[in-house]
Amino acid sequence: ADYEWKFQSSDNSGTPTFEIDQEWTKRVEEMTNGRIKIELLPVGSIVEHAETQDAIAAGILDGHITDVSYFSGKDPAFSLIANPIGAWADPQQMFRFINYGGGKELMNKLEEPYGLHFIGAITPGLEAFVSSVPLNGVADLKGLKVRAPEGMVQEVFAAAGAAPVNIPQSEVYTSLDKKVIDAADATVYATNSAMGLNDIAKHPVYPGFHSMPLVEVSMNKEKWDALPKDLQEILTVSVRDLSQDLVARLQMKDREAVAKDQAKGDIQITNWSDEERAKFRAIAMKQWQKVAERSDNAKEVYETLTKYLKAQGLLK
Amino acid sequence: MTNTPHSDPHAPLGTSEGDVAELIDDNRAVLPPESGVFGRGVNHLGTIFAIGFLCSMAALIFEICMRHIFDAPTIWAHETTTFLCGMGFVFAGLFCASRNQHIRVVIIYDMVGPKARRILNIVISLICALSTGFFSFAAWLMVKKAAFAPTGGIRLETSGSAWNPPFPAILKIFMLVIMVALTVQFLILAYNYFRQKPDLSASEAPARR
Amino acid sequence: MLHLQSLGIEYGTLAMFVMLIGFLLTGMPLAFVTLLVALIFTLGWFDNIMAVSLITSRVYSFVSSFVFVSVPMFVLMAALLDRSGIARDLFEAMRLFGGRLKGGVAVQTIFVAVILAAMSGIIGGEIVLLGMIALPQMLRQGYDKNLAIGVVCAGGSLGTMVPPSIVLIIYGLTANVSIGDLFTSAFIPGFMLAGFYVAYVLFRCYFGDNVAPPPRTEHIPTEEKLRLLKGLFLPILVVICVLGSIYGGIASVTEASAVGVAGVIASTMLRGEFSLSMLKGAAMQTLSTCGMIVWIGIGASALVGVFNLMGGIKFVSGMITGISDDPTVVILVMMLILFILGMFLDWVGIALLTMPIFVPIVKQLGFDPVWFGVVFAMNMQVSFLSPPFGPAAFYLKSVAPPDITLGTIFKSLVPFICLQVLAVALLIIFPGITGR
Ligand code: NA
Ligand code: NA
Repeated sequence: ADYEWKFQSSDNSGTPTFEIDQEWTKRVEEMTNGRIKIELLPVGSIVEHAETQDAIAAGILDGHITDVSYFSGKDPAFSLIANPIGAWADPQQMFRFINYGGGKELMNKLEEPYGLHFIGAITPGLEAFVSSVPLNGVADLKGLKVRAPEGMVQEVFAAAGAAPVNIPQSEVYTSLDKKVIDAADATVYATNSAMGLNDIAKHPVYPGFHSMPLVEVSMNKEKWDALPKDLQEILTVSVRDLSQDLVARLQMKDREAVAKDQAKGDIQITNWSDEERAKFRAIAMKQWQKVAERSDNAKEVYETLTKYLKAQGLLK
Repeated sequence: MTNTPHSDPHAPLGTSEGDVAELIDDNRAVLPPESGVFGRGVNHLGTIFAIGFLCSMAALIFEICMRHIFDAPTIWAHETTTFLCGMGFVFAGLFCASRNQHIRVVIIYDMVGPKARRILNIVISLICALSTGFFSFAAWLMVKKAAFAPTGGIRLETSGSAWNPPFPAILKIFMLVIMVALTVQFLILAYNYFRQKPDLSASEAPARR
Repeated sequence: MLHLQSLGIEYGTLAMFVMLIGFLLTGMPLAFVTLLVALIFTLGWFDNIMAVSLITSRVYSFVSSFVFVSVPMFVLMAALLDRSGIARDLFEAMRLFGGRLKGGVAVQTIFVAVILAAMSGIIGGEIVLLGMIALPQMLRQGYDKNLAIGVVCAGGSLGTMVPPSIVLIIYGLTANVSIGDLFTSAFIPGFMLAGFYVAYVLFRCYFGDNVAPPPRTEHIPTEEKLRLLKGLFLPILVVICVLGSIYGGIASVTEASAVGVAGVIASTMLRGEFSLSMLKGAAMQTLSTCGMIVWIGIGASALVGVFNLMGGIKFVSGMITGISDDPTVVILVMMLILFILGMFLDWVGIALLTMPIFVPIVKQLGFDPVWFGVVFAMNMQVSFLSPPFGPAAFYLKSVAPPDITLGTIFKSLVPFICLQVLAVALLIIFPGITGR
């Protein structure tokens, strides 16, 4: 191979997402006739999840497939573009923003100073919410002890009246099981279900109302710039395809898991009404403005995003 | 054994429960003279980070009470605890280096005579200084990313949580400071081992571990 | 540069292990041995000096991880128990309870270890605690040194076998299987292993000479019994507080370790032994003990990052693929790889290195991934004790009296390692032990 690269994923090796991403690396190898060979490594194998950006810039890793929220501490703009809670009702809305609505250019403007090139966006889709108490709407969030990761998610839950608890992912299971926390922002339904989260917290909300992360496929900018045009194009198009592949297959898995859990009988899957979803969205969008004030880049994300949403009639 | 009122005064040495505590309570007994004034300074600073562990404990208890009794979890307790313990862990590496407390395998070290042991002490200290020197450079690379924006201005990396404290940047800067301090400490150790007369080194620097 | 890359990953791995042992034998501090080897391979393998920041990045991630907060908490608990009279009174009372059973206190120490295992998700803190409290007391009462050391290290390592367990949680996240199923399935194997330890201790005490003190046969007046029993009261209360806060949904596992510290401080106050100088002394000891044990973890974590970047995952994958068509042989080869890696790396590194390769193969061969998770956790029990890199031995060494050398500790662990290997074998021959 002309190019042998190491990409680190923010997913664990046994998860469906990781396996589908791994198929992408094989496809790239075939499409480039073996000129590009990517080894996809699971989360934490070279550096921790929040450290991949620095590692790519230093040339330790060549690229990553990771949730953009992890870099919120570097610039609030990452937090806003990674998970503008309430903006997306469907992954396709986000893909259109990234590919045609100015999102891609914005991502590159944010990433390039850090030595990265943004190839494209993917997402696992709308995450399902894990809860051990019945939740039918925003009012039920009051006082809810919810585990949320870094990024905007925590702030939005706090604004909605919940009490975010800041525990690491490795303690989510035991804390939910023993009712130290009532609910958790985990991931998509099928993965939550496989880990047994819905067996201990029997009131999941599906589809989720709270989060749909922007997962970036990015690589070292110098290495990208040195690539011939055809290889750049293959990478770009293959990531665009991966985004569809991933969403479609994870949605199928979600539906299978939902059907299986419904058959169990003791798991109560709730779906929020459009009215309640709109209420949550309104609360979330007030937080966008707050984040926008924290840096010039964040302001630009806010403006580009709201302009796109208005043009598409998704925001009045 | 002032702190162990119930301990048996006739217990054989090395087996009484007070023994270990006694060794470590008396700071001067543990601190080897080769660490120099620098080592004594590090040893004094230890108190701050030791108290940090107690504060971590207090923060967690406060968090449990707020969450369980008042249904109002804090946004700062877990991050503060992790930060204080992280600072403590990093400092503790220097602390143990100054006290010559790091765990070693002393099979060969104990077999050889005082001359060879002196040379081993010098060489080991120099190699350690060289590697911590490299880590200082590595930590500087990390600090450049954490403390400065790509445009060059000072911008401390934050945790990205709702509270959003600049703990990542502070911890990374602190790591740089400790790596430099470790290099200095190992160089001082190497110099002092070098100055020692070979026949004295065996009795003055017994292998603690 | 050194051009280590021309060695290839096979000889590179070998060179790494040889270098580790070589530097170890010079008497260089262990934490700096692993860091140095990590540094040599970073500089020698990659022609990019910026790659050294990989090491500091891993150090940063290691020290800023929330789960390790429980380590200083357990050490604080130990240091406070040690400085007050609680530990001694507890073991006097245990001796009374042991009654006519030869080796009674050693057996009870294993019970205490199981209780501690239920209070914690990782190991480290419990070994330090038992090493500071149980080891001196057992030695004082006249137990054989090797047996006492083995009980402390092997018993103190049970934390990852008995739920809650971070090893099982990480395995569950990696293999995408239910963590609840893993906990349920690890329960009985964990107790089985503890049972092996008890059986071995009793065997040694009854059939060996001078292994255990003679049981107390003299008549103890009732007032004396009541006085001794009081020694049990406060420690049991602390245990109830910690376990109660975990299982009662009051605190997360790491938070519960802080509850333990608060409980012990309250106990010293109730006994009138509390003083600020005692608290400060305990905190200072926590600092130095953490320096020793956390920096060993730091070095190990850095080394794993470098090895993965060198292509460690591909290397392990190459060793296992196409080795045999017989599923049993494949599983046995996996066990061998885990055992060898366990000699040199810590469990996080082993999990990162082997799980992406082993779990898909295990599933493909038709084995139950939950069962394999329990087998993996049992293997990690072995890795905690096996030389030359046996974290349990280092943790004990950090608080043991100076006359107990690492050589003595590792020698004492041999029979316990054999028992662990026996437990692994039983899990493979009779998977039903996991209830699957
Ligand atoms: Na445990
Ligand atoms: Na080992």
